[in-house]
Amino acid sequence: MSSIYLDHAATTPIRSEVREGMMAVLDGDFGNPSSAHGWGRRAAARLEEAREKVAQAVGADRSEIYFVRGGTESDNMAILGHAEAVRGRGGTPFAVVSAIEHKAVLGAAAEVANRGGRWSTIPVYPDGTLDMEVLDTTLADGASIVSVMTVNNEVGIHLPIEDVAERTRAHGVVFHTDAVQALGKVPVSVQDIPIDLLSLTGHKIYGAKGTGVLFVRRGVEINPLIFGGGQERALRPGTEDVAGAVGMSIAVDLAVQEQESEATRLRGLRDLLQSRLENGINGLRIHGDVATRAPHILNVGIPNVDPEALLAGLDLEGIAASAGSACESGAQTASHVLQALYGRLEGVAALRFSPGHSTTENDVIRAAEATLTVLERMPSVEARA
Amino acid sequence: MKDTTRSQRILVAMSGGVDSSVAAALLVQQGYDVVGATMKTFCYSGATASSKTCCGLDGIADARRVSDALGIPHYVFDVEEDFTRDVIDDFVSEYARGRTPNPCVRCNSNTKFKDLMERGRLLGCDGIASGHYVRIDHSNLPSPALYRGVDTSKDQSYFLWGLPTEMLPLLHFPLGDLTKQQVREQARALGLVTADKPESQEICFVPTGNYRDLLEKRLEARHPALEPGRIIRRDGEVLGEHSGYANFTVGQRKGLGGGFGEALYVIEIRADSREVVVGTAEEGASPGVEIGELNWQTTPPPDGSPIGVQIRYRAPAVSATVHSTNGPFTLVFDEPQQAVTPGQSAVFFEGERVLGGGRIERALVAAKIG
Repeated sequence: MSSIYLDHAATTPIRSEVREGMMAVLDGDFGNPSSAHGWGRRAAARLEEAREKVAQAVGADRSEIYFVRGGTESDNMAILGHAEAVRGRGGTPFAVVSAIEHKAVLGAAAEVANRGGRWSTIPVYPDGTLDMEVLDTTLADGASIVSVMTVNNEVGIHLPIEDVAERTRAHGVVFHTDAVQALGKVPVSVQDIPIDLLSLTGHKIYGAKGTGVLFVRRGVEINPLIFGGGQERALRPGTEDVAGAVGMSIAVDLAVQEQESEATRLRGLRDLLQSRLENGINGLRIHGDVATRAPHILNVGIPNVDPEALLAGLDLEGIAASAGSACESGAQTASHVLQALYGRLEGVAALRFSPGHSTTENDVIRAAEATLTVLERMPSVEARA
Repeated sequence: MKDTTRSQRILVAMSGGVDSSVAAALLVQQGYDVVGATMKTFCYSGATASSKTCCGLDGIADARRVSDALGIPHYVFDVEEDFTRDVIDDFVSEYARGRTPNPCVRCNSNTKFKDLMERGRLLGCDGIASGHYVRIDHSNLPSPALYRGVDTSKDQSYFLWGLPTEMLPLLHFPLGDLTKQQVREQARALGLVTADKPESQEICFVPTGNYRDLLEKRLEARHPALEPGRIIRRDGEVLGEHSGYANFTVGQRKGLGGGFGEALYVIEIRADSREVVVGTAEEGASPGVEIGELNWQTTPPPDGSPIGVQIRYRAPAVSATVHSTNGPFTLVFDEPQQAVTPGQSAVFFEGERVLGGGRIERALVAAKIG
């Protein structure tokens, strides 16, 4: 039996346009962009073309685009890099992040505190809104950076970052958003929203793993976290991954071009899957249902089921899904995201399905059927007759 | 149980060691639909990485590699909560009582197979397998018999006396007829990455081998088991001081401070008075043993029956007689035995066949037999 991949929020395969663009660099323009000969010049040209392409796709200037090695690195460079800049000016960094951020942001914020600064979280409600009073209090209390993701990776909530960004800017505080799950699924533009720092990764948008981007609005100061040569304006030293940058730029460009039509298609698939599961499973929870959701993530809660056995059972049926976030597999308790939104959720197995480019209606129908088949073996779930 | 439309699905416990790797490989060769599983028994984040611990994170990675090479799915199941309650807590409380626990027996009886069985049922499996060196004979269903592994130096039947009878029909032990050497050869022939992995000897949750650290962490401060006490002879003569009775086990000779002139062994631990009693081999010999927490994998033998009993891992079974009518279940040895250690397992045999077992509650003392 062939397998159905419904875990695109964990990672995606590389699309052919990206592969071809990368191969052209790997095979042909392999030079070091810093070299003063033809090979170097050609590589530098590819790199700058890539930068231009990403900048146009998100409404930035190309001088504001930095190629980095993935989403986690981008988040760390933004939050810790900014904290180091604040410290360099003699200030005390204070990172304020939403309670449902990815571990990359939470980890970086915690590290700000480890290095003598502070960090705190802003509660998020099930409808996706943030506790604005807490935001205002922390802004008044000396927050130096606020980081709120655009789309949550586990439940797919599309957060109201415009409001947060505007309030943050009104206090003269820097605003960062992790848009790793957002690009290609919802509109992402640094022109429409006063975003100072924005993080992207390639492998969620049919690009390569280990490729990413950090947007840094002109005038926003961040310090490098690693040191060496002058590549990427000395913010991310090390010989550039030109092939990665080219692949990233193609992935970003196509994701933005196709965003509207792909979002409509994915939403249809997600809603179909959701209704099939709702019809088959009593007591099914739809996480994120009262919030605005990005179209590509369906997170459901099934009561009284062993989440590990459920996932394993689905895998044996040829369905690749995940337990919320791939980073928390094996954890028996609800993830920090689900806990922040809904409390402890004892005995509820969370299951995340994320359709993508290759997903068809037939795939999600089969996935729903397989889920019901697996659940039939699980004693405490009442599958509807 | 038989489904002729498809091959039987077997869930095999894979620790990432060579034995369970080969067990999985053999089942694949035999045509089963094999699913690998590693039980994550405790949180490794605090422990230093050690390749010696077979169920550590390295173990999970190795089990996944082997599964990939065999073309079978593999899952990790978190059983930390059960393991902590049933194995680690028991381990600590046994030492606190002056006894010497068998955590691997507890794990097999209470956690590993029970949890495997549960997951196997959820995954539509027809059977459960492990890489233990024991044999199981399914010919006399519905009550199969467990036998020692043919490799006497690796036989692990001592650890499996606690398996409930109702589980036996579902169990497969593909290594029971093999020697360790044959298993290694198989692993090399199959090119398994675990072929030359060293044996794991330590208790998996005490990777350093020093269980006192664990006791200090998990017992309340100044617990009597870790406080100084007297080393005495059975007649009350004081020979010295010790730094906590939890450091001792009955039968141990080393670590007594030495210099007593004659060979002395720990023959009793008196938790109530924090005394460690030492004596000669002769003084330490017990005529019999009182056994609790019994589990029978066959019909319990009547009073007066002869029975074989193994009271230590890697010791032969010795002959004894059952005394079960008046008071606790007791075995009287044909010949007095050394180091009858409370907390350890006593496993019953009829020849090679495992009949059941229990936990040693008390060694009988010569004068009390009457």
